[in-house]
Amino acid sequence: MAEVLIADDSEFMRNLLREILEEDHTIVGEVENGVEAVEVFTEEHPDLVMMDIVMPIRDGIEATDEIKDTSPDANVVMCTSVGQEEKMKEAVKAGADGYITKPFQKPSVMEAIQDVVPS
Amino acid sequence: MKVDVQSLDTFNQLAHEGAEAATRSLTQMTGIEATVDVTRISLLDREDVGEELRGTAFAGVQFGFEGALAGETVLVFEEKRVGDIVEALMPGGCADESMAQSGVEEIGNIMMSGFIDGWAEHLNATIDHTPPTYIEREGAAVVPDGPETGARDQVFVFRSEIEWAGEDVNFYIYMLPGYGSMAELLAEHVDTAGDAIPIEKLAVFNQMTREGAAKAAENVQMMSGIETEAEVAQLSFVPIEDVPRQFGEDTYVGTVVEFTGTPSGFLLVLFDEASAVTVAEALLPVEPDSDGLTEQHESAVTELGNIMTSGFVDGWANVLQQSVDHTPPRLVHDMGQAIIDPLAAQLGRHQRHAFIIDARMQTDEVDFESEIHALPNEQELRAALDELVVDRADQLEADAEQIF
Repeated sequence: MAEVLIADDSEFMRNLLREILEEDHTIVGEVENGVEAVEVFTEEHPDLVMMDIVMPIRDGIEATDEIKDTSPDANVVMCTSVGQEEKMKEAVKAGADGYITKPFQKPSVMEAIQDVVPS
Repeated sequence: MKVDVQSLDTFNQLAHEGAEAATRSLTQMTGIEATVDVTRISLLDREDVGEELRGTAFAGVQFGFEGALAGETVLVFEEKRVGDIVEALMPGGCADESMAQSGVEEIGNIMMSGFIDGWAEHLNATIDHTPPTYIEREGAAVVPDGPETGARDQVFVFRSEIEWAGEDVNFYIYMLPGYGSMAELLAEHVDTAGDAIPIEKLAVFNQMTREGAAKAAENVQMMSGIETEAEVAQLSFVPIEDVPRQFGEDTYVGTVVEFTGTPSGFLLVLFDEASAVTVAEALLPVEPDSDGLTEQHESAVTELGNIMTSGFVDGWANVLQQSVDHTPPRLVHDMGQAIIDPLAAQLGRHQRHAFIIDARMQTDEVDFESEIHALPNEQELRAALDELVVDRADQLEADAEQIF
């Protein structure tokens, strides 16, 4: 059972992810932007961050970059509606470990998590 | 062959002036006070022309025209208002149906002669038209076939809407020049030293828009289970001040994002209120606490707008091998014109004309309809089209697994 931080500006999407994940994992926090994601990551050190890209204040790629700068072993899976190749490359450069494109089905989320944080 | 913004503007202006000449003829003959509401040039698939007329029976006249420009045109209005128009033409009524049809033909003939003559004058050439044919048809079937026969052939369409002041009557003019005829005309008038765009790139971009709309529809279906199909995708050109009028007075719920990159601009995902409730309830795991549009509905619509936006613009980014960023979606709930007005004003600081990229999706299964409208910065859209490699136009999707 992994400890997961959910970073997404959409309440609807946070709820959906929580419902998918909480049966097998522990949700240690839910945040709405990249600044909060970095803060809560620093406090909680979760096993995994599910990170949206398009968020207010600071986007998910910048937040991932900052998290990976201070904690290179952190696991971050981008969970975003953005399906652009250039953006995926930016996510790789920032240190993201996986990439799920919304809309998603539960199996693809579980598979992406399993790839990054094997149980 | 290329087209530039200046010649598009000239031809849009010609169509607008033609519609005004037609309107003056209408007023002279009938005393009906009317104004030209909207004129736009669009490039779209033949099968999508007139989709906005769906569900209504129309009557009017049809002509063929040939010469400096060749094609087909119609002038139509709601069939149920034929009586009002004939009454205006022949006060006291007209019991004879064939006389009523003849009256409509004559109004149409005179109005459309005014419409066509302006073109001939501007082109300093002759455009002949056939005698008018009275037509009564349902929805999009009222629009003539035109010279193109394939459903997915791209056609240029000039569409004008004329409003009868104080009455709930609109006249619609559709002019469909042959694609080759129009492309040649645009090419002849192009300023080669300026900002010309190859016409085939516009057509390819339109195809990318259709694919983007299909992706957005697929996302709706995957999230909500509502079987959704992209119905229309078109690229239109209008003066910036006419943009708000394209969106009408109906109330919409949806999202607005500003996108940056090549091109930059605004993108709107809009639902009528009933559709917003329908789709939100299909997304929500439990029934909302109260009727109407609750915060839960709004949150679901906002996220759906976000995902549809990405589905729509990601293809552009992947084909152009660039990234197109967008802001988080902002929920809007207002009259169409009120939503678009500030966005058009913002674009209007830098440009006099706007390209509007539209897509519509709907389903027969439930009461659901959604529209996507993109308003790109005109110069940046031209730059994007300039960089568009036609052979890459099918590279719309990126594979995350290959990159990670």
